[in-house]
Amino acid sequence: MEDGRIQTTPNLPQDILMAIFAAFEIPDLLRAGSVCSSWRSAYETLRNHGLYNQSQTPCLLYTSESDGESTARLYSLVEKKAYRLTLPDPPIRTRSLIGSSPQGLLVTADDRSEMHLLNPITGQQIALPSVITIRQVSPIYDDSGILRMYRYSAHTRHTVLALPANLALSELRHQLHHKAFVFSLSGGGGHIVVLIHNPSCQLSFARVGAESWTWLPPHTSYDDCMYKDGLMHAVTSKGEIHGFDLASPAPVATMKIIMEGPMTYRYLRMYIIQAPWGDLLQVWRKFGDRDLGDTPRSSVFWTTGKIRVYKVDAVANELERTSCLRGHALFLGHNQSLCLSTEEYPALKANHAYFTDDCKYWTMGLQNNRRDMGILNLDDNSSEELVSPHLWSNRPAPIWITPNLREINFNLDN
Amino acid sequence: MATREAGKKMIMLKSPDGMEFEVEEAVAMESQTIRKMIEDDCADTAILIPNINSKILSRVIEYCNKHVPTTGATGAAASDTVAPAALAEDLKIWDAEFIKVNRATRFDLIQAASYLNIKGLLDLTSQTTIDTISDNSLEEIRSFLSTKNDYLPEEEQTIRRENQWAFQ
Repeated sequence: MEDGRIQTTPNLPQDILMAIFAAFEIPDLLRAGSVCSSWRSAYETLRNHGLYNQSQTPCLLYTSESDGESTARLYSLVEKKAYRLTLPDPPIRTRSLIGSSPQGLLVTADDRSEMHLLNPITGQQIALPSVITIRQVSPIYDDSGILRMYRYSAHTRHTVLALPANLALSELRHQLHHKAFVFSLSGGGGHIVVLIHNPSCQLSFARVGAESWTWLPPHTSYDDCMYKDGLMHAVTSKGEIHGFDLASPAPVATMKIIMEGPMTYRYLRMYIIQAPWGDLLQVWRKFGDRDLGDTPRSSVFWTTGKIRVYKVDAVANELERTSCLRGHALFLGHNQSLCLSTEEYPALKANHAYFTDDCKYWTMGLQNNRRDMGILNLDDNSSEELVSPHLWSNRPAPIWITPNLREINFNLDN
Repeated sequence: MATREAGKKMIMLKSPDGMEFEVEEAVAMESQTIRKMIEDDCADTAILIPNINSKILSRVIEYCNKHVPTTGATGAAASDTVAPAALAEDLKIWDAEFIKVNRATRFDLIQAASYLNIKGLLDLTSQTTIDTISDNSLEEIRSFLSTKNDYLPEEEQTIRRENQWAFQ
């Protein structure tokens, strides 16, 4: 108004503005939404109704030693640029990043080994049930009733693997936690967090907003989980796929075996993914160069050598090696595994896997080791750097996140 | 009804400033809005297109002429000799030239494409606007699009603080 140079204000109708804004990646959307009041109103309508582009290209979330304790960086594959985010306490650099969901939520474990859901874009955060309600953990208080240590009992339903150990509050997360998932149950059934934890990569789950974790024995050696048609699918490191009905009355979750284990390959990480075209995929990430001892040491390392993709035929109980990932890219790591169409996400390279480190002992216990991350070409298994030079701190291990502006009303869950 | 004898049905489009454009029915039917009117037999003599002046309407017709599928008698020769990929490439280059217009014309074209429901033209004009906004700072967006900042200074401060990170 004060600016006399501008003669005309071309104003597009709100519906057209919204149609245009609905194509944006979130940083562009936030900028466009700040231009003027008419654009802001279009932005607010999109945000409040969740009508903005839900197909956001995953970003790499990492921390950097040159930033403060509460700062994370969000690297956009589209803009090839990193944004700085200031996040709520506990400080992000003191947390482990153990999961990230397509709804834009990180699952973190802080320096008392307690878990939170955190949306790094909106700053929304909610505490998950205390770690002391996990079956293998009990609290040790001092005389004045202050929590001093955790007692960690390394047992499964059928086996005791080690004598119980007393662990410092910040140490438990390096022994217990492995990978976490957030699933929105169908039919407005609320949100469930599933945790793969030690010993032996068992499962526990908790309803967001509930008081405690529920153990899912007796099976072990889980590598990855996904949720499909009301059933959580969990894959073991042998390739067995188990299905759990988490909506059934707790604590008993009904389980069925969807597929028997086809293999016994040791140096492998296993993923299970719902492909956009409907197939269920099993993805094998194989070790290349490695030095893996039985106990974590600073010299220990591994790098991803090959990634193979198999189509699951649950009826015939067979895996079919597939090379039909044309036009799609994989995202692997502590994030919920993704298979995305490069037509819908033009910044991504087709038939490539974008991977971060999720090796269960080395990402947690050896916090400062080199991270195994990159972009691997599935045609020839050649890999390239994600971002060069390495700007990230190795602790916490970087993770993929799908940005999301939605505030989730967790109060509805109970 | 419009002329059928010439082998091609013609439709008359009228802009509110009194200009008339005679176009092939197939070309006019690139617009889903007009297609619906024709299919519903509402297009006996001429169709008045409100809110779209002759300057913009002529550009829209130019676009539809270029994009109408060349399956008819005259188009057959072209599509027989030229590979589809080359045709698509040619169309892309043509589109890129077509959209080299000033911002006011582009916004008018967006509104026309939206009203007439011409998906290809709406995508093209919107995408160009999206490209102008992507990766640019607030000041750059305002300057490219000559959009006025109508916030009070303190309002703008609040709005920026809300999502400060996106302005780095």
